[in-house]
Amino acid sequence: MTVVQIPPPPLPVRDRTAGRALSPMLTRLAEERATGVLVREHGTLYLAEGRVVHAESPLAPGLDVLLTAHGTLATAAWQRAAAQAAGPLHAAELLLETGLLPTGALELCQLDAVYDAGYFALAPSSTPGHFRYDHTPRIGPLPSVPVVALERETLRRRLLLHRLWSDPAADSAPLIRADPARAAPVTPRQRAVLDRVDGVRTATGIARNLGRQAFHTLVDVRRLAAAGHVAPLAPLVAEPPPPPPPPPVTDPDIALLKRLRDALEAL
Amino acid sequence: MPGIDECLLEAMRLPGARGAALVDWTSGLALGTVGEAPGGDHETTAAEAAELARMAAEHGAFAAPGDGRPPVEDVIVSNHDSYHLLRFVDTSFDSSVFLHLWLGREEGNLALARIRLGEMASRLVLG
Repeated sequence: MTVVQIPPPPLPVRDRTAGRALSPMLTRLAEERATGVLVREHGTLYLAEGRVVHAESPLAPGLDVLLTAHGTLATAAWQRAAAQAAGPLHAAELLLETGLLPTGALELCQLDAVYDAGYFALAPSSTPGHFRYDHTPRIGPLPSVPVVALERETLRRRLLLHRLWSDPAADSAPLIRADPARAAPVTPRQRAVLDRVDGVRTATGIARNLGRQAFHTLVDVRRLAAAGHVAPLAPLVAEPPPPPPPPPVTDPDIALLKRLRDALEAL
Repeated sequence: MPGIDECLLEAMRLPGARGAALVDWTSGLALGTVGEAPGGDHETTAAEAAELARMAAEHGAFAAPGDGRPPVEDVIVSNHDSYHLLRFVDTSFDSSVFLHLWLGREEGNLALARIRLGEMASRLVLG
């Protein structure tokens, strides 16, 4: 039997015409080439002269996890560097100086980590972000990313996930394995994710466990959800009761509303 | 030890090189670009090349047996005007990146470029 797979949707291309800014505050900070720390609900961006030099999010594995998870760098070597440095970015610069890691590998991990944590830091939030002017972040030897580039890439990544599977529930809920109606093939990278689905771990927890970028894991999780291999665990809390119906309108000025409608239609 | 930009500039010294990029095939993001891109747009080229790379990397038919290394070394596309050479980068950390070299067909030497790009991909992440 021939298994015909529906090809996944194409990777979106950045929309250069989109003028939508993810965070008006961030746009303003980029324009004034600010230096400091922007703390948002799901992550933190470190800006130097209006460029993102470092990003952190509790949802994305940090540079330390990416570098040590597969033995690229010994955990002890990272800890030694971190103990001498003011933060993960400076620790990475120290590793670059000492030549413990190849430049390309460090640059690649740094860019991966900035775009990955930046994606979560710029996620819609329920609380306003706040910015602290601070002269500690600076443009160093490792690559930095223009704010606009990070914003555009974050929007593109949202679109990519949405096209793969439009329900975002699997991004944050604990995942369970599901029985697909038709066993769609699973790629080796998806297999690694699927093997860690245990009803407790979330997608970002699996990313940390794999030492893999969280966004890359979300891509695989949405593909697995679309193919019916995984599903988000339903929340235990009951659905909130439906809102009460609006109070009955006792005296609507129907005639006025009709005149208004007619006037609008006549425009 | 070369960084991303030095690696791409080195690729541009190959005969016939028109443009080069380091691209993530999961997201379609270009992490570095130099020179020209077909149609003048590196971002679109990166997203399209990432599609091709992902298909090659994920479909079992093209994979070499064995674990731990990228399933595919490179993907080559030729047309009457140019060659496209995609070289997967084998990193010791988890990643999904490849080098994309665009070569003019008249001046380009595909065999030489393939060997050199493989060496550059190794040096980029191994030093």
